[in-house]
Amino acid sequence: MRRRALALLPLLLVLLLAANGVLRQRLADFVESFPTPRAAVPAGWPAPQYDFSGNPVTASGFELGRRLFHDPRLSLDGSISCASCHQQFAAFAHLDHRVSHGLHGANGTRNAPALFNLAWQPALMWDGAIHNLELQPLAPLANPVEMGETLEGVLVKLRADAGYRRRFEAAFGPGEIDSRRMLLALTQFIGTLRSADSRYDRGELSAREREGLALFRRHCATCHREPLFTDYSYRGNGLDADSADAGRGAISGKAAERGRFKVPSLRNVAVTAPYMHDGRFDTLSQVLRHYASGIRDSAALDPALRGGLALGPEQQQALVAFLETLTDEAFLQDARYAEPLP
Amino acid sequence: MSRLILPILALALGLAGCTRAPELDVEIDISHVVGSEPLRLDDGVYRDAAGEDFSVSRLRYYLSLPRLRRADGSWFEPLHPAESAEAYHLVDEARADSRRLRIAGVPAGEYTGVEFLVGVDEARNHAGAQTGALDPARGMFWTWKSGYIFLVLEGKSPQSPAPGGRFSYHLGGGEPSLARRVYLPFGERPVRVEERLRPTVHLAVDVGALLSAVNPVRIAQLPEAMDPVSARPLADNAAAMFRVDHLHHEPRRRGGG
Repeated sequence: MRRRALALLPLLLVLLLAANGVLRQRLADFVESFPTPRAAVPAGWPAPQYDFSGNPVTASGFELGRRLFHDPRLSLDGSISCASCHQQFAAFAHLDHRVSHGLHGANGTRNAPALFNLAWQPALMWDGAIHNLELQPLAPLANPVEMGETLEGVLVKLRADAGYRRRFEAAFGPGEIDSRRMLLALTQFIGTLRSADSRYDRGELSAREREGLALFRRHCATCHREPLFTDYSYRGNGLDADSADAGRGAISGKAAERGRFKVPSLRNVAVTAPYMHDGRFDTLSQVLRHYASGIRDSAALDPALRGGLALGPEQQQALVAFLETLTDEAFLQDARYAEPLP
Repeated sequence: MSRLILPILALALGLAGCTRAPELDVEIDISHVVGSEPLRLDDGVYRDAAGEDFSVSRLRYYLSLPRLRRADGSWFEPLHPAESAEAYHLVDEARADSRRLRIAGVPAGEYTGVEFLVGVDEARNHAGAQTGALDPARGMFWTWKSGYIFLVLEGKSPQSPAPGGRFSYHLGGGEPSLARRVYLPFGERPVRVEERLRPTVHLAVDVGALLSAVNPVRIAQLPEAMDPVSARPLADNAAAMFRVDHLHHEPRRRGGG
């Protein structure tokens, strides 16, 4: 009996709300008081690049962004969502996929990057093609081998959905669903995917891991600069003598930048395999072997890597031990980022 | 605090009560031509300076940040809210209403020319999600590489080596930018903006000039230009395709219009 009464509670609440504007406002305030991830800056971090003052994060905006991120209807045939290739347990990279497959199984050309701390990126994508986080979602949305949809096509679907109409109004006030509102909501979600709570951040390192950290600071930290573990530069890391992918060169038009790619963050790197822009390496050990003994010369090669890094097998293992401390379990399991209930 | 409210209110009411100048404007009407012929999408066939035959299936471009030059050399620049895209206009030959734009809030006086940007300025080209003419849903935004397409010209030519005899020119981006400032003098007769008269400036925009005005472009050699390097010659031509065809002054109807 009591259980049945409990089941009626939501209905009662809805009825009350429909009847009472004050209560509705209270509920909205209550929802806003949920611990939504906000645009906070962890201690010791630089200021973010994305300016949230033009897009203040709200509980309803973040929730809407989360819903859009996980909704396959954003793709042309309803088969692919952002989350299809950006899985939370892989720090929003795509586990086991060198490159991802989009519509009709078509393959992309680059490894889906992990998504976190995006608000700090001066430019997005492996080649820095996108300047503003708000516009980032347009690229996979429109790419024919990813979600293959048009912005107009997505908006038609969202406008036809009463649930979305309600959620957009809750987030942005009365008005039609337009591309700006959709992009702002998505940005509230992807821009607050924040990972800053690894064992490294908490300073809980074993002796061996500390040894790895020392090696890291000597050999890797110039490019993978702490605390974000990247300096966001575009560099050649000796994968190929002649890169099949123009990389940064396609954006800058400079021949010397052919085959250069953005230095990725190493946070959560232990869970974001496979590695490199084309996903060619399956394990961190392979990656370290590459830096120690697999560097190939080219015009794009970063001078610091010429001849390889002086790392013996023991040191490589210590480095891997350190890199594993960058995994942020709380981030990987944070229910606020997970797929929302229907 | 409340002590401040009354005077502010009084001031606001007082200002609102002042004689409000009527909203004056200048209209700009655009006709697309190829040489001396009017442009007809798809079925018009034209010949360029290099003797190539071509037809046009799509012509779109941004006219941005218009301003009017006064007889004394100073400028009238319309003010818009920082976030708005009102100063950006997307001309699309396929949409008749897009070939007309209005410069609003123009003070009475005489004006000797108009200037605008063909394209989008750097600040807006690299800004976040925008609305109005700058809404990326308008299809003038490169999704794989941030930035607006300033001008699109697509069509067919038997001389084009591309599949289907197509040619496509998408201008945008570039360092320095491919956006071009264009100043068009009104000629001997200035535009008069006053309460009684509504001026209209008719522009003739020559698509033929886009292929030949400054840098001759052969469709046979350049069937596609989608990146700033190959599109740069076309950007210089784009700046030269505008001219003032004639001016019009018509009685302004009372109560707007």
